[in-house]
Amino acid sequence: MPPRRFDQARPFFTLGVVIVVWLLLPVAFKTFTRASFFELTAPIGVAASRARDLQEYWSLRLHSNNDLIEAGRDLARLNASYALSVQQNATLQSEVARLEELLRLPSFANYRSEHARVTRRDFSAWWQRLVVRKGKNFGITVGAPVVFTGGVVGRVTEVHAYTSVVELISSPNIRLAAVVEGDNRPISFQGGINPTFGPPRGAIEFVPLDIFASTATPKRLVTSGLGGVFPPGLTLGTVTKVEPSTDGLFKTGEVQLDPTLSTLTEVTILVPLNPE
Amino acid sequence: MRRFLVTFATLLLLWTVVSQLNHALAPAHVYLFVPALFLTYAALALPLRAGLAATLSAALLCDSATPVIFGTHALLFAVAHIFLFNLRDRVPRDETSARVVIALLANLALFLVFSFVQISRLPAPAEAWPRIICDLLCSQIFLAVIAPWFFALQARALELAFVASPAFDRHLG
Repeated sequence: MPPRRFDQARPFFTLGVVIVVWLLLPVAFKTFTRASFFELTAPIGVAASRARDLQEYWSLRLHSNNDLIEAGRDLARLNASYALSVQQNATLQSEVARLEELLRLPSFANYRSEHARVTRRDFSAWWQRLVVRKGKNFGITVGAPVVFTGGVVGRVTEVHAYTSVVELISSPNIRLAAVVEGDNRPISFQGGINPTFGPPRGAIEFVPLDIFASTATPKRLVTSGLGGVFPPGLTLGTVTKVEPSTDGLFKTGEVQLDPTLSTLTEVTILVPLNPE
Repeated sequence: MRRFLVTFATLLLLWTVVSQLNHALAPAHVYLFVPALFLTYAALALPLRAGLAATLSAALLCDSATPVIFGTHALLFAVAHIFLFNLRDRVPRDETSARVVIALLANLALFLVFSFVQISRLPAPAEAWPRIICDLLCSQIFLAVIAPWFFALQARALELAFVASPAFDRHLG
């Protein structure tokens, strides 16, 4: 009977209508919907992150006074060495400025450091991302580089009202120009596939033929400064393997990334002072 | 409307649980992906309109939190939802074990389809499969463990909101 046949087809008809409506929706509406849904979930991640901070605070409260005294003493020693580094840094910066002036070189981009807590890690085989607890409310910009004590973390790909999304350098979606320490020829770096229970890895391409590296003699890979996103000289990882590529013109290789990338709780966002 | 809101609230809770677990599992590079849990109960137990609306809302939630083309999850979830909805009169959908088996099969299919959609973006697709298979195994185990609780939660939430009752279930069955 026709009515019954239509009744059976009704779900598929509904699906067809939903798909057609979705295709006809303007991009602005979809962008707005995406942002709305993200903002709907943002407080959940932030609340969970604050709960973890509170948990950490109470666990730290359990430490004895002796532990605190020892930590304070170690911190004082570190501060003393950092104070010396700050003085040296100021001298070097004035020297760089003098040389730039003398040689009429374009100056390096200046950044403002913004420390942010990690609220959510999202490490699948398809992408590796972090959500941090600072967004438009702290002037974070899309594309800003993100670093930590071990080197580069990644770059900001989305900025929301009070959270930002950082794509990690271990993510296959990240590609940037790098150099082997002590060499100035650029190499293409791309995040790789991160095996389960293993350290994160990346891949390098267009490595000059005279560069050699192995697990016994690894080479440090740093940012080149080309492209203007990342300042030069920041650690990306360690080149542990290079082998000739199929065309024979260059080499390809493997980069071991910092294993702490997947356990980060705090990162520093370098916000450009004069964004182009 | 109340049915949709209650179901969506439970799906939001599921999303929270899964995202927090993924956060905790990130150091081990294990990722749980359980799309079938977002739609199985809605497809098997709810009327078409309310169920599909809840599933689509959950899919948009997943879309907004991942770097995929907005609507990827929505399309996959909608197709799976309609497929299960059409199938539901031919399966023992009131039994929890049957629901769990259906959810496992749907999850397997959705995981593989999603992987095939995303894998073209990876630099070395062949190298990604061991990781994907490991994630799939972990996700299936997690789904089998959590699904009975989650289906019970959804049924109980609907009962508490007075939009489902044993009589209502009998009527559906």
